[in-house]
Amino acid sequence: MTKLQRIKEIAIALIMILGALVMMTYPKESYPLIVIILAFLFIGRGISSIWYYFTMARFMVGGRESLFMGVIWFDFGVLTGAITSVPHYYVLLYLVGIHGFSGVVRVLRTRETRMTGSSNWKLTLIHGLIDIIMAVLCIVYIKQIDITGIIFGIGVLYSAVMRIVTAFRRTALIVIE
Amino acid sequence: MQEDFHYYATYCAAYLSGYSHSESLDICYSAQFVDLCSATYLTGIKAPAQAATTQLQMEMMNTRTDVTGLQNITRIWAPFHFLPRDLYATKDKKRPKKYMNKYRLICGPNGALVKDIVELAKGKPLQSVGIAMHVLADTWAHRNFAGTPSLVINNTDDEFYEFIAGEDGEQKRKIKFQHSLSAPDDLDKSIYTSSLYQRNEKNIMNLGHGRAGHLPDYSFIKYMYLPAWDDYRVMIKDNPSDYRHAFCQMIYAMKFIRGEIDSFETDVYDFAAIKDYEERIDGILRKRQLSASSDWKAFGEDLSGESIEDFDVNKYQKEYVDAPKDEKAGTFYGLFIDGAIAHKGLVCDRIYQSGNKLVGFVQEMKND
Repeated sequence: MTKLQRIKEIAIALIMILGALVMMTYPKESYPLIVIILAFLFIGRGISSIWYYFTMARFMVGGRESLFMGVIWFDFGVLTGAITSVPHYYVLLYLVGIHGFSGVVRVLRTRETRMTGSSNWKLTLIHGLIDIIMAVLCIVYIKQIDITGIIFGIGVLYSAVMRIVTAFRRTALIVIE
Repeated sequence: MQEDFHYYATYCAAYLSGYSHSESLDICYSAQFVDLCSATYLTGIKAPAQAATTQLQMEMMNTRTDVTGLQNITRIWAPFHFLPRDLYATKDKKRPKKYMNKYRLICGPNGALVKDIVELAKGKPLQSVGIAMHVLADTWAHRNFAGTPSLVINNTDDEFYEFIAGEDGEQKRKIKFQHSLSAPDDLDKSIYTSSLYQRNEKNIMNLGHGRAGHLPDYSFIKYMYLPAWDDYRVMIKDNPSDYRHAFCQMIYAMKFIRGEIDSFETDVYDFAAIKDYEERIDGILRKRQLSASSDWKAFGEDLSGESIEDFDVNKYQKEYVDAPKDEKAGTFYGLFIDGAIAHKGLVCDRIYQSGNKLVGFVQEMKND
C-alpha cells in the first residue's frame, strides 16, 4: 500500500468513526442520517459498478452485466434518498440480513479453519458472534427506533477500525539479495 | 496439475534426465511439496511463513481482499502456480493500466520467466530443482489463467465442451459444472466441479482456474471454452499435448541443470528422451481417470527398477523440528525454504520491475 492510500484509508476511517459516534450518541435524531447514508452507499455502489464496467469489465466476455447492475444500484440509491419517510423496520430488516448472514458464515468458517490446524480462528469466531448478537438485537428491539442508530453505528465503527488496521498493515515487501 | 504429475511424472522426468533414484525422489518430493507448503503448515513447524508456496482454502477465505491481502495472495499464486508468460504483453487496442497489470499476469509456457527460474535452480540443491519443475509444469497446465483474483481475466462462461475420442474421431460433449466441493467429478457424464460465479472483481473465487474447475489439472482432457480476456475468441485446450510438452521440457531443463547442456532455451523439448516410451506415456496421458498416479508410479518403477514410495507430506518434518536452530537451514525443509524464498524473490522482482505492483514491493539487499 502506498503512503497516499494509507492516508486516504485513515481519513475515511476517522470520518466514519465521527459519524458512528454521532449515531450512537443521538440514535433517534440520527435516523434520517442513516437513510441518507444508505442512499449514498447504494448510489456509490452503482457508480463504482459503472466505473468498473468502463475501466475493466467492458473488455471481458459478458462484462455488460456490471453496467446493468450499476444502473440498478444507482436507481435504488436515488429511490431510497427520494422517499421522505422510510419506516425504520425496513432499515432494521436490512441490518438483520447483513449481520445475521455474515455472522453465520463466519461461525461456520471457524469450524473449517480449526480443522486445518490454523490458529487464526478466534478473531473470526468473535466477529461472527458479535454479528449474530447484533442481528438478534435488531429483531428483539424492532419496535424501537433508537436501536437502528446504535447498531448501524457499531457497524460503521467496526468498518472504520478495519480500515485503520488495513492502513497500518505491513506493506508486502520482498527482500532479494 | 496434481500429485500424479508433480510427484510421479516428475520422478520419471528426473530419472530420464540422468538423476539417480534417490535424487529423483528428492526432486519429485519438492515438486509436490509446493502444493502443500502453506503458511499454516510452516507456522506449525515454526518455520518462516514467508516461504509459503501455496494457500489453504481456508487461508484464502480468511484473507481480506484489500490491497495488502491481494498482494499476499498474488505473491504466492503467481510465482508458484501461474507463472506469467509475458510481463510486457500488449493488446491491439489500448487498455487502462489497471487492466493490463492483470492481463500481464496471465500464465503460459515458454515465457522469459521460465528461463529465469530454470537458470536460478542451476547449481542449487535438489529442492530448488523440484520447485522449478513444479512451476515449469504448471505453466502448461494453468496457461490462460492468472495467479491473482480477477473476474475480467479468470472468468469463463458455462459453455465448455469436451472432445471425446471415439471410433469416428472426436465428438464434442457439453460439460456441466456443479459447485459442491465434496462431490467428485463424474468423467463419464462430463460433470465437473468449479467455483461459483462472483461478480466482484477481487473475489477469491476468481483466482486462477477456479471457474474452470479441475479441467486444467487432468492430463486426459481436451476441451474448448471462452476465456473472459480473449475478445470472444474460443480457446481449445489440449491437455495431452500440453502435458507431453511439459514432460519433455522438464527433462530438457533438468539436463541443463545437471550440466549436460550449456544453455537453456525456451520452446525446446527433449522428445528424443521418451522415444522408446512414447506409446506408454501417451497411454497414461490420455487415460480418462481422476488420478494417473498408479500408472506414472508403475512407469517410474519400470524405468529405475526401484520402488517409489508414496508421497508423505510429513516425511522430513521431524528432521526439521528436531534440528538445532543453527542447523535447520541444512535440513531438507530448510533447503526447500531457501529455494522457495529465492524463487519468490526472483519472480516478484521481475513483476515489480515491470511496473506492476500486484505483488507488492521488492527491495534489493546489497551484500558488500
